[in-house]
Amino acid sequence: MMDLILGYLTIGLVNGSFYALLSLGLALIFGLLNILNMTHGVLYMMGAFAAWAGSRYLGLGYFGGLVFAPLCVAAFGVILERSLLRRTYGLDPLYGFMLTFGAAMIVQGGFQAYFGSTGLPYAAPDWLSGGLDLGFLYFPAYRLWVVAVALVVCVIVWIAIARTRLGSILRASSENAATAEALGVGVPRVFAATFALGAGLAGLAGALAAPIYQVSPLMGSDILLVVFAIIVIGGMGSIGGTIVSSYALALIESLTQALVPQAASFIVFAFMCVVLLLRPQGLFGISVVRSHEFLAARLPWIEPADKETAAKRLTGMVPVFAAVAALLALPMLLYPVYLMKIFCFTIFAASFNFLLGFAGIMSFGQAALFGTAAYLTAHAAREWALPPEAAIGVGIAAALVLGIVMGIFAIRRRGIYQAMITLAIAQMVYFVYVQASFTHGEDGIQSVPRGVLLGLIDLRDDTNVYWLCAAAMLAVLFGLRRLINSPFGMMLIAIRDNERRALSLGHNVDAYKLAAFAIAAFCAGVAGSMSAVVFQLATLSGVHWHLSGEAVLMALIGGIGTFGGPLVGAAVLVTMQHFLSPFGAWIVAIQGAVFVLCVLLFRDGLWPHALALAANLRRQDATSKSAEVPQAMEAIGR
Amino acid sequence: MPDADAVSLRLSHVQAWYGDSQALFGVGFAVRPGEVTCLVGRNGAGKTTILRAIMGLLPRQTGSIILSGREASGMRPYERTRFGIGYCPEERAIFSSLTVEENLALPPAVCAAGMAKADIFALFPNLRTRGRHYGDQLSGGEQQMLAIARILRTGAQTLLLDEPTEGLAPVIVRQIEHVLIELKRRGYTILLVEQNLDFVLHLADRVVAIENGSVVDDLETRGSEHVKARLLERLAL
Repeated sequence: MMDLILGYLTIGLVNGSFYALLSLGLALIFGLLNILNMTHGVLYMMGAFAAWAGSRYLGLGYFGGLVFAPLCVAAFGVILERSLLRRTYGLDPLYGFMLTFGAAMIVQGGFQAYFGSTGLPYAAPDWLSGGLDLGFLYFPAYRLWVVAVALVVCVIVWIAIARTRLGSILRASSENAATAEALGVGVPRVFAATFALGAGLAGLAGALAAPIYQVSPLMGSDILLVVFAIIVIGGMGSIGGTIVSSYALALIESLTQALVPQAASFIVFAFMCVVLLLRPQGLFGISVVRSHEFLAARLPWIEPADKETAAKRLTGMVPVFAAVAALLALPMLLYPVYLMKIFCFTIFAASFNFLLGFAGIMSFGQAALFGTAAYLTAHAAREWALPPEAAIGVGIAAALVLGIVMGIFAIRRRGIYQAMITLAIAQMVYFVYVQASFTHGEDGIQSVPRGVLLGLIDLRDDTNVYWLCAAAMLAVLFGLRRLINSPFGMMLIAIRDNERRALSLGHNVDAYKLAAFAIAAFCAGVAGSMSAVVFQLATLSGVHWHLSGEAVLMALIGGIGTFGGPLVGAAVLVTMQHFLSPFGAWIVAIQGAVFVLCVLLFRDGLWPHALALAANLRRQDATSKSAEVPQAMEAIGR
Repeated sequence: MPDADAVSLRLSHVQAWYGDSQALFGVGFAVRPGEVTCLVGRNGAGKTTILRAIMGLLPRQTGSIILSGREASGMRPYERTRFGIGYCPEERAIFSSLTVEENLALPPAVCAAGMAKADIFALFPNLRTRGRHYGDQLSGGEQQMLAIARILRTGAQTLLLDEPTEGLAPVIVRQIEHVLIELKRRGYTILLVEQNLDFVLHLADRVVAIENGSVVDDLETRGSEHVKARLLERLAL
């Protein structure tokens, strides 16, 4: 038994080495650039591929690859930083997040399309095969090598940052880049160099991992979220803390694998929740006050400074009515299931849009809620033979409960940290569903019966389901709109704009935020339940974090903080997926490219541009009317 | 003696905005080498904004800023420091994650004639024993001295100081005054933002009065008792 545990501990040390290299790089990038680098997983993957390509095409040996891979990935990092990320520096960190998310999709999708999903082999050098027999423990030589290299590199980076002048430049720039630049520090170069360092560390980890795991396009995908959780646990501002947390958590993970295997995949996330409850700034983090200042997110494009914009938002409901009326007539022309997919996704996008656009809360775990509702509704309809209204109710209730639980943890932090927490919790949920028997794993729950709604409406008729779906979408959109224009909604917006002021006025800010989470969970639940009934299917892709990314994409395309945005965004995304399906594996890459373009070019989203166009047309003939609306704005206190 | 026509720094038609709100409305004045020029005005007049405009730290600005004969308007802040300008912001901005020594060593040298450490400690004896302390462990006065000291290390010849005496005890204010007088004696060019008119009149060769983002007066102070009265009147203080 002891041997087994020690064996797992060696695995823990190896995993810890990878986590340490990755979390170190991610923490450096986040500390300086304030960007949650979603490409970190693909950078790790690219490191492995670079090592493999170096050996295959350039005849590099293992050690050549170990130098070549980090340099390659660092160079790619510099290109990425200079061409794309640089444009997002003055903006809300959300843009950097979305940009890197899109870039990651492009790279991973591209690699997947080109190389397929199966792994490529990469061999360790012969003299590192075999192992070290310590009597009580057998340590494979290559793994020992990995641990040694990682520790040495981490310590070197740590010392460099803490003791050298270059390190002091990095620390100063992370603390206050504008002042550092005013003192003559070439801050743009520091940014590029830091991103390159973070990327290089990820590339090194990939090259080290190549002989252990197969070199595959998917290898970075799940490790990214574990690294996020580690950074939340370790806290910002301490490099040593990040390194220690990485190894500690990897060891805990392996021990769990040895003792309670079912819990291994989400123990790190569970730990994160515990740390968040007891010490929100992380185990080694800087104090909560400073981290709040550091991390509070503002959304500049929704500044209510311009009364005309606010007016556009309300009067903009007229085109929405028109569009909806058109959509309701569309089943004559378009395939109803395609339209229903748009409706379900609209509701899903609306839940994210509500949270971010009006409550200022970043939740990238909405898929967990969607999928939960889908699974529970599907299970209730199929196994418990509940009528559709009850099954849908069960699904929504489950999503609501999960959403409130998620909210309790997520409101402990703000901004990008909040986003990381929701991602990590959603990942936990994903792993639970992977293992739960009722979900039937990869197959999902199929042949979900549609049943008869309220004993009257036969949902096996596609037209009836269509109307139900459309009604649900309208109810959600108008319900959210009503909510935003109520005192509760105004309070949310006030909290979003200046939380400290709201707090100082005596409002229970946490309660409002939790309520916002619950409302968004409800909406995501409606979307998930409806999708289970419409498509008669509930699968793992409904809980995968890529779906959360699609919610972001839809909201972004349509316009975050608008009412019509989710509908436009969902329509564009579903249509795009439909037309892109001949491209097969390249879909992900193309979607990523669309994402990136949207972030760079149409930051406001398509809906506000359409509204502005309509407003311009309207202004040409009714100049007197626009005077009334600002007065109405005053009346509701905006 | 500095050439009376030479100019270290000249602003012309400088306008600046914070978002939609305009802060400067066509500011123009010149700073001559070796002189101490003071920007005075009420809170919110735009004095700090002018210094930020010179350094290029504003989100949006137009107009001409000439540093040592070169047009600097399009340049990034770190490029402007190469013209021998050193900036001490109002909040001092001492890096708390760096020690005093690291703070001193941080800005890159812009000129080989940067002040040696011994000279720095001669000017600022308080800092001598504080080498290993972190930035946020210093008192306000020590932070101010450190902020000036680190600029002097780089060899900058033109110093932009934003309210160096703000929030400091009178005895520390006198210390800083001595430092600035000494720097002036050594030939440094200083552009100073100050609210403390008495401090200003001890030190300044020239006073530029700012009100509502515009220059309302620009005068020499040498040997004039009624400068203070005139300023008080102009600024409606």
